[in-house]
Amino acid sequence: MKSLKIVVLMILSISLALTVHPSFAQEAIKVGIILPLTGEKAKFGEIEKKSFEMALEEINAAGTVNGKKIEFIYEDDTGRPDVARSAAEKLITKDKVVMLGGGYGSSETFAIAGVAQQNGIPFVISTGSDNKITEMKWDYVFRINPPVGDYPKGLESFLTEVVKPKTAAILYENTNFGSSGSREFEAICKRLNINVVLSEGYQSGGVDFKPLLVKVKQANPDLVYMISYLMDASLLMNQSKELRIAPKLFVGGAAGFTLPEFQQNAGKASEGVFSATLWYQTLPYPGAKEYYEKFVKKFSMETEYHGAEGYACAYVIADVLKRTKSMKADDVRASLAATDLMTVFGPVKFVSYDKMANQNKLPTYLVQWIGGKLELVWPKEIASKPFMYPIDWEKIRQ
Amino acid sequence: MKSVRWSAFIILLFLAVFPLVVHSDYYRHIFIIALMWVVIGSSWNLLAGYTGQVSFGHAVFFGTGAYAAGLCVTKLGISAWWGMLLGGPAAMLVGFLMGCVCFRLRGPYFALATLAIAEIFRLVAIFWRDFTEGMQGILIIQSFRSKIPYYYLALIIAAICVFTIYSIMRSKWGYYFVAIREDQDAAESIGISSFHYKSISLMVSSFFSGVAGAFYMNYMAFIDPEVVFSLHYISIMAILVGIIGGAGTLYGPPVGAFIMVLLQELFRSSFFGMAPRWVSDAHALVFGLLVIFVIRYMANGVVGDWPKISRLWSRGKEIPSPTGGNLS
Amino acid sequence: MEVFIQTLVAGVLIGGIYALIGLGMTLIMGVMRIINLAHGQLMTVAMYITFVLFSYFKMDPYFSLFISMPALFILGALIQKHLLNPLLRIESIIPENQVLMTVGIAIVLTEILRFIFHSDYKSVKTSYSTATFYISGISWNVPMIFAFLIAVFLTACLFFFLLKTDTGKSVRATAQNKDAALLMGINAEWITMLTYGLGAALAAAAGTLLLPIYYLFPDVGGPFTLKAFVITILGGMGSTVGAIVGGVVLGIAESMGATYISMALKDAVGMVIFVLVLVFLPGGLKTFTRV
Repeated sequence: MKSLKIVVLMILSISLALTVHPSFAQEAIKVGIILPLTGEKAKFGEIEKKSFEMALEEINAAGTVNGKKIEFIYEDDTGRPDVARSAAEKLITKDKVVMLGGGYGSSETFAIAGVAQQNGIPFVISTGSDNKITEMKWDYVFRINPPVGDYPKGLESFLTEVVKPKTAAILYENTNFGSSGSREFEAICKRLNINVVLSEGYQSGGVDFKPLLVKVKQANPDLVYMISYLMDASLLMNQSKELRIAPKLFVGGAAGFTLPEFQQNAGKASEGVFSATLWYQTLPYPGAKEYYEKFVKKFSMETEYHGAEGYACAYVIADVLKRTKSMKADDVRASLAATDLMTVFGPVKFVSYDKMANQNKLPTYLVQWIGGKLELVWPKEIASKPFMYPIDWEKIRQ
Repeated sequence: MKSVRWSAFIILLFLAVFPLVVHSDYYRHIFIIALMWVVIGSSWNLLAGYTGQVSFGHAVFFGTGAYAAGLCVTKLGISAWWGMLLGGPAAMLVGFLMGCVCFRLRGPYFALATLAIAEIFRLVAIFWRDFTEGMQGILIIQSFRSKIPYYYLALIIAAICVFTIYSIMRSKWGYYFVAIREDQDAAESIGISSFHYKSISLMVSSFFSGVAGAFYMNYMAFIDPEVVFSLHYISIMAILVGIIGGAGTLYGPPVGAFIMVLLQELFRSSFFGMAPRWVSDAHALVFGLLVIFVIRYMANGVVGDWPKISRLWSRGKEIPSPTGGNLS
Repeated sequence: MEVFIQTLVAGVLIGGIYALIGLGMTLIMGVMRIINLAHGQLMTVAMYITFVLFSYFKMDPYFSLFISMPALFILGALIQKHLLNPLLRIESIIPENQVLMTVGIAIVLTEILRFIFHSDYKSVKTSYSTATFYISGISWNVPMIFAFLIAVFLTACLFFFLLKTDTGKSVRATAQNKDAALLMGINAEWITMLTYGLGAALAAAAGTLLLPIYYLFPDVGGPFTLKAFVITILGGMGSTVGAIVGGVVLGIAESMGATYISMALKDAVGMVIFVLVLVFLPGGLKTFTRV
C-alpha cells in the first residue's frame, strides 16, 4: 500500500503544480464566447462561431481599442448547461475576460447568465431565447435577439389580417426552447381568441410521430404550430404528408424549419410550410446582404439567423469596448446598457418591456418554402415573394 | 491497517489545505466536482462493490436529492440549503421503494431494472412541467460567491461518507453485505435476510447520493431533468468511477473520482490549453478506451489491482525463481 | 375509430423494426447471458456503412444489407473473441464485468464514428422513403412494411437455424450448459463468436432498414439498445418468436401510449412495461408458449 500512497500524493502534487503554470502577457482585450462546438447543436454553434470570427477579423482590421486588439476566447459548452456554467466560470476566473458573449441553447444561456450576474461580469446574449432569462431582470445580462415569446410576432399580424384561424395545435420538443416557446404561443393564442385544441410535447429524436399526428388530424385545427429542431421537423412534415394532414397552414417556430437541410430532407413535404424567423438576408438592414454573401463565399455554406446574431453580437461587443470608460466590469456594463447601434441583425438598443429588462426589441418575420426556396413573405412590404395562401395541399403534395 | 490510517490522514490534510494554497477558482471547482463524485462513487460502491447489487440507475437518487433542494425554492419558497437536509431522506425513500420492486431480481436483471426506473423518473420529470419546471429547469443564485465554503462542505460530506462506509464495512453489517455478494442463497440459508440487508445497503447508498444531489443544486445553481437524471453522465459515470477506482475497496471510488474528473477536464480543455484543439473532442474516446483497458486488464480497478500494477515497476528487479517458472 | 386503427398500424409497423433489434439482443442474451450495452452502437456502425455505400456508390439500402450484415458479423465476432471471451477467465469482484466492457465498447464505437463523420445529421433519401399506400384512409408506410416482412423472414431463418442445423443446436446447447457442451466436444469459443456475430448482423439489418425512414448521427444507437432490452425481456430471453411478438407489443404499447396518454411519455411506457415484466413475469412471454 505504500507505493499507492506515494502515487496518490504524486498525482495530487502534479495537479497542484499545474495550477501554478504561467499566464501569458495580456496584449489584447479578452472576451469570452460560449457556444456549442461539439454535440448535437454543433452545427449551429459552428455557424455562429464562424460569424463571430469573420466579424472579429473585420473589426480588428478596421482599428484597435486604445491600441489593443480584441480577442475572442471560445469555450465549448457541448450543449449542456453544467458544462456551460463551468466554461463561464473558467473564462471569468482563469482567463479574466472583460465580458461574455454568445449563449446558444436556452438552458446553457440561463446557466451562463447566472454565473455572469453573480460575478458582476457583463454578458451579451446572441441566441438563447427563453423569456425567463431577461425576465430575471439581472443587470449584467443583456440580450440582442428576441425572446422565444416574440418569435411568432411576425406571424401574429399575418394571422389576424389574412388567415383568421379559429383553432390551433401546438407541437413542441421537450427542451427549454420548445417548452418555453409553447407556453408563450399558448398565451398568444389566448390573446387572439384562438382555441388551442392540442398542445403536446415530445422527446426529440423520435422515429415515429404518427401517434401524435393522428391526434392532430382528428382535432383538425386551422393552424399547426411546431417548435422543432431540424430532424424532428423533417420527420414531422414527412409523416404529416403521409397521413394527409391538411390544416389551413403549418407554421414552424424557427430553428429547424429555416435551414436548407430541412428542405433537402423533407422534400415535397416542406413545400408551403411557413416559419417564423428572426432575420433574412434581404432585410433592409445595412450590411445584411453583404454579410450573407461574404459568409457563403468564405465558408461555402449557408448562413441564417443564428449566424447573423453572432455577427451582430461581435459588432456590439466591439462597439461597447470602444465606448467604455475603462475595462472595469461596471464601466463595461454601463457602456453595454447605453448601446444604440445598427447591425446586420437590426438595431440594437436595450429596453425593458413585457416583464423583461435589458432586452433588445425587434420585429420578427414570416418566411415560407416556395418552390423549394425559403422566401420572406410577411410583412408584405419587404417580402421577397408573395405568400402562398390558401394552400392547395393536393396539388403541392403529388 | 495503521499505515492506511496515516495515509488517509495525510490525504485529508492535503485536501483541506488545497484551496488555501491554490487561489484559482477554476481548479477549486474541479476539486469540488471530484469530491462530489467521491460521494456518489462511494455510495454506488457500497451497494455494488460491497453488496454485489450493481445499480445502473444511481442518477435517480442524485436527481431526487437535487430536486428536493430545487423544489424547496420553487414550491416552498425557502432556501435550497434546506434541501441538504431533505435530499438524503427523499432519496432514501425512493431507494426503499426501488428495493421493494427490484430486489427480487438478481445480477443483470437488477441492473436493468434500476436503469429503467431511473429513465422513468427522468421522463416524468421532463413531462411534469407544473411540478418540476420541466426542461426550463430550476435556477437559483449561489449563496456564496467564493468557492471556499462549497469546497469545505463538499470535503466534509465526502469525508463523512467515506468514514461511514468504512465503519459499516467493519461492522457486522459489512460481513452480511459481503456474504450476500458472494452467495446470496448461502447467506439466506444461514439466516441473513438478504432483503433486509440489501435494503440497508441501498438506503445508505441512496442517502449519500441524495445529499450529493442537493449539494449539486446549491453549488451549480441550475438543474434540469437531463442533467441530474442523466443515464450517461450520472449513472454510468458513477459506475465508471467505482470500477476504475476499484469496486469493493474503500479508497477505490475516491481515487476513481479524482482520476475521472481530472481526466475529463484535462481533455475537455485540451490539457488546459496546452494541446491542440482536437484533443478536447477525444475525451470521450479516451474514456471508452480506458474502460475497456481497465476491465480487460485491471478488473479490480486501480486500488483493487494495485499489487499487480506496482509489480509492473519492480518486475526488472525480480529474482527469477530457481524452478524457472513465474509464480505470479 | 380511425385514430385507433392508424395508431395500431403505426405501432405494428414500428414493431417490425424493433423486433429486428430485439432479435439480435435476445440471441446474445439468451445464449451467452451477455448484456450487450453496445447493441445500439453496432446498429449505428451498420447505418454509417449503409450511408457511405449510398452516398458514394449509390447503392440502395436494401442491397447494402448484403454488405452491412456480414461486415457487422465479422466485427461482432472479433469483439467477442478479443474483448469479451477473455473476461470469462478473469476473477473479479463484480461479475457484471462484461456489461461494463460493452459500455466501453459502445463509447469507443460512438466516438470513432463521431471522429470520422462528425456530429451532424446525415440522412439517406431514397425514392421510396416516404412512399405510402392507403387502405380506406389508413396510411401504410412502404419501407416500414418491407422492414416488417424482412424481420419476419429473418426470424424464420434464425428459428430454422437454431432448431434444425447442427451449428444451431450447438448454439442452444452452449446456452443451456456451457460446461456440458464443452464436454460434448463443442468448441465454445467459436460458438460464442458466432453468436455475437449473428446478433451484430441482426442489429445491422435493423439499422440498414431503419435508415431510409430515419436519420443518422453518432449517438443514434442508445435509445434502441434500451428498446432491445425491453423486447428481449418481454419476449423471453433466447426466444426468436418472442422477439417478434415482443417487438410488436412494444411498438403498439408505445403508439397507444403516445396517442392516449402523451407523446412525451412514449419512451416511459416502454420502461414501465420493462419493469412490470421483470417483476411479474420474469420469463417473458416465452412462459406462455414453449418456444
